[in-house]
Amino acid sequence: MGEKTHFGGTEQADMPVDVDELRAEVQKKYAAVAVEPDAEYHFHTGRFIADRCGYDMAVVDTLPPEAIESFAGVANPFELRALEAGEHVVDLGSGAGFDSFLAGIAVGSRGRVVGVDMTQEMLLKASDTAEAMGADNVEFREGYIEDLPVEDGWADVVISNGVINLAPDKRQVFDEIWRVLKAGGVVQFADIANGNEVPEEARRHIDLWTG
Amino acid sequence: MLEEVGFVDVRIGEPIDTFGGAGGEENARNFDVSGYSFIARKPD
Repeated sequence: MGEKTHFGGTEQADMPVDVDELRAEVQKKYAAVAVEPDAEYHFHTGRFIADRCGYDMAVVDTLPPEAIESFAGVANPFELRALEAGEHVVDLGSGAGFDSFLAGIAVGSRGRVVGVDMTQEMLLKASDTAEAMGADNVEFREGYIEDLPVEDGWADVVISNGVINLAPDKRQVFDEIWRVLKAGGVVQFADIANGNEVPEEARRHIDLWTG
Repeated sequence: MLEEVGFVDVRIGEPIDTFGGAGGEENARNFDVSGYSFIARKPD
């Protein structure tokens, strides 16, 4: 990634979109991904994109279809560091639970994973899948990634995949990650970044944020 | 932004052609968008 790469592209001070409107559009989009994972979206979903992102497909294929089909990630948050047994993990924007379930396998029975999402359809799907899998070390909580329902200093690791770019106030998201991490904790996440700066006019188009 | 917050040891992975072949490919190409993995540590 070169020096001109712009992560996320927007800060609170010059927020070009209405936060509530953006959240509503994101919820609408990802509710659809939860219930119609095979429909056509601006992004790839499911096993195809997991494979492209470089996940260990031998492990992915141990998950039930419901845990895979609504995956809409953009890269692999486990690429640069493998999780360790016993770790406490928070998954920001956990969706239908794909990364949370992989994290649950990696941290084992002594570890814990908390997935946080704001979209009811995703939370319901993830929770139903966790119950069906007997994934007792994985739970899902409703909340915004700018205001995590997690206590201070609980997490060894924070993960996320393709979600932080959807938050208008990215500084608040990273402040929350800092708050929930223990000293020495790690944030390892996947997201999109653009090499060409997005013009102000385009940044006001919510379709570009959610697409 | 990670370093502004106080994180250290920031590393970035190789780009992934996240949108290639998807409906969002044209916009992604226009703005040179790829997927990346990031890692950083909260100091002890």
